[in-house]
Amino acid sequence: MNQANLWLQLRRAAALTLVLLAWEGISALGWVDPFYAPPPSAIGGSIAQLFIDGEIYKHLQATFGAALLGLFLGLIGGALLGFIAALIRPVAELLEPVMAMLNAIPRVILAPLFIIWLGIGIASKVALSFILVVVLTFFAVYNGIRDVDTRLVERVKTLGGGPLVLLREVYVPSVVAWVMGSLKVAVGFAFTGAVVGEFVASSRGLGYLLAFAQSTYNAELTFALIVLVLVFVMLLFGLAGALERHLLRWKYR
Amino acid sequence: MLDIRALQMSYGAEPVVENVDLGVAAGEFVSLIGPSGCGKSTLLRAVMGLQKPTAGNIRLDVEKAEIGFLFQDDALLPWRTARDNVALGLRIRGRSKGEARQEAMHWLESVGLGQFGDRYPRELSGGQRKRVAIAQVLALRPKLLLMDEPFASLDAIVRHYLTEDLLSWVEGEDLTVLMVTHDLEEAVAVSDRVVLLGNGPRAHVKGRWEIDLARPRDLLRVKEQPEFATTARQLWDALSEEVRTPTIRQRPELEVVNQ
Ligand SMILES: Nc1ncnc2c1ncn2[C@@H]1O[C@H](COP(=O)(O)OP(=O)(O)OP(=O)(O)O)[C@@H](O)[C@H]1O
Ligand SMILES: [Mg+2]
Repeated sequence: MNQANLWLQLRRAAALTLVLLAWEGISALGWVDPFYAPPPSAIGGSIAQLFIDGEIYKHLQATFGAALLGLFLGLIGGALLGFIAALIRPVAELLEPVMAMLNAIPRVILAPLFIIWLGIGIASKVALSFILVVVLTFFAVYNGIRDVDTRLVERVKTLGGGPLVLLREVYVPSVVAWVMGSLKVAVGFAFTGAVVGEFVASSRGLGYLLAFAQSTYNAELTFALIVLVLVFVMLLFGLAGALERHLLRWKYR
Repeated sequence: MLDIRALQMSYGAEPVVENVDLGVAAGEFVSLIGPSGCGKSTLLRAVMGLQKPTAGNIRLDVEKAEIGFLFQDDALLPWRTARDNVALGLRIRGRSKGEARQEAMHWLESVGLGQFGDRYPRELSGGQRKRVAIAQVLALRPKLLLMDEPFASLDAIVRHYLTEDLLSWVEGEDLTVLMVTHDLEEAVAVSDRVVLLGNGPRAHVKGRWEIDLARPRDLLRVKEQPEFATTARQLWDALSEEVRTPTIRQRPELEVVNQ
């Protein structure tokens, strides 16, 4: 199975290389305008330049800081709210419609509001990341608890388990399974929140650089930044995947 | 040990079981038989306190913690290995982790799953899962054992040996048992008394048979005794009265569609 997996990865890498080579070739032949679609080599050079200058680090730090903080707070907040709503009915009656509404709208439209309230610093980006992640996590946890297998609850009760044992043995593991299912989406959301927030108004971050690149019609820098965001999100996806396989090993082994 | 009086259980308006009287004395092995859907599981759940009676009462001479309950569609915790599933009840009773695991392995071995301690439930067959559940319950050394078709999904051989083990365990420890089963021969072979629950709704006790075979019983020998065959035959006849003719034979009339 591992060998098959290796082959799959190799085939994918080969396909990607082929596409990049073709793109490079088309550019070299002058079939596309490098102003709009710069060749991969130029984009690579641009990325390298960003790191050589050292310019990029403070932007990476800003975006990562906002995204990870928003992700962390969103996961904690969503889990807490979800737990409370699932256990206390009146809370659910209040929270559920609010969350459903927030879930229905594209939450990034709240970005201007957060900037008015919290300024152009990191706080408004964290808030946007948070609001994107918290709604997702809320529903994962809320549904996770309400859909808990009642047979498991009864099983543990008949073995003599009280509320604490039920929580530890049944509710938390069920919820972890649900949250893990949406962790990758949450990582994506957290970055969306941070980058969009920076895009709207900021003084640093990848979103800020993107806005700058756009305003100067710098397609090369734009591509470079898109590739950077892509690489970092993929990296985090890998981490999230590894965490998922570890925590849900009873499912995947 | 257990005394059920005028019990009524309902899900909707119409009671599933009504006016059920059933007593189980300490050390007695009672089997409950009856047509599918008549309310046997419901009755057992009521005894365990998982469901409230709508009328009547249930008196128990044991603590809740001393009752072992085997569900019909038993579920193990999917995120715990077989060993940790068995150990869970022991942990709840305050045993240390190492001790509980060691004891759990002992119980897994006694149901023939010694090598499967590290498997997750997903990696076990239906019958193996059932055996883990049996180990999980027996490990707590209950005084009263409530079992809902415990051996339904096992092959004939494993079923025979497990029943034999259970029987000697029950006789040795002087356990009290109330078991639901669809296997009439099994009911006669292991029980002191077999109780027939009639057809639902409003099912009630339709018959009782005292099984006067000597204990300890040998599961194979007991079936050679003349009394065994006659009682099994009586149960068969009585149950046949209660079970409605299988619907497979009753094709729906086409005219009905036009009504
Ligand atoms: N949760 C429920 N809600 C509504 N009705 C139910 C529920 N559980 C069981 N019933 C009904 O109650 C009746 C008795 O069910 P029960 O499970 O006790 O039957 P049973 O005698 O154990 O049947 P079987 O031998 O097939 O296991 C059935 O008619 C069933 O449809
Ligand atoms: Mg049943």
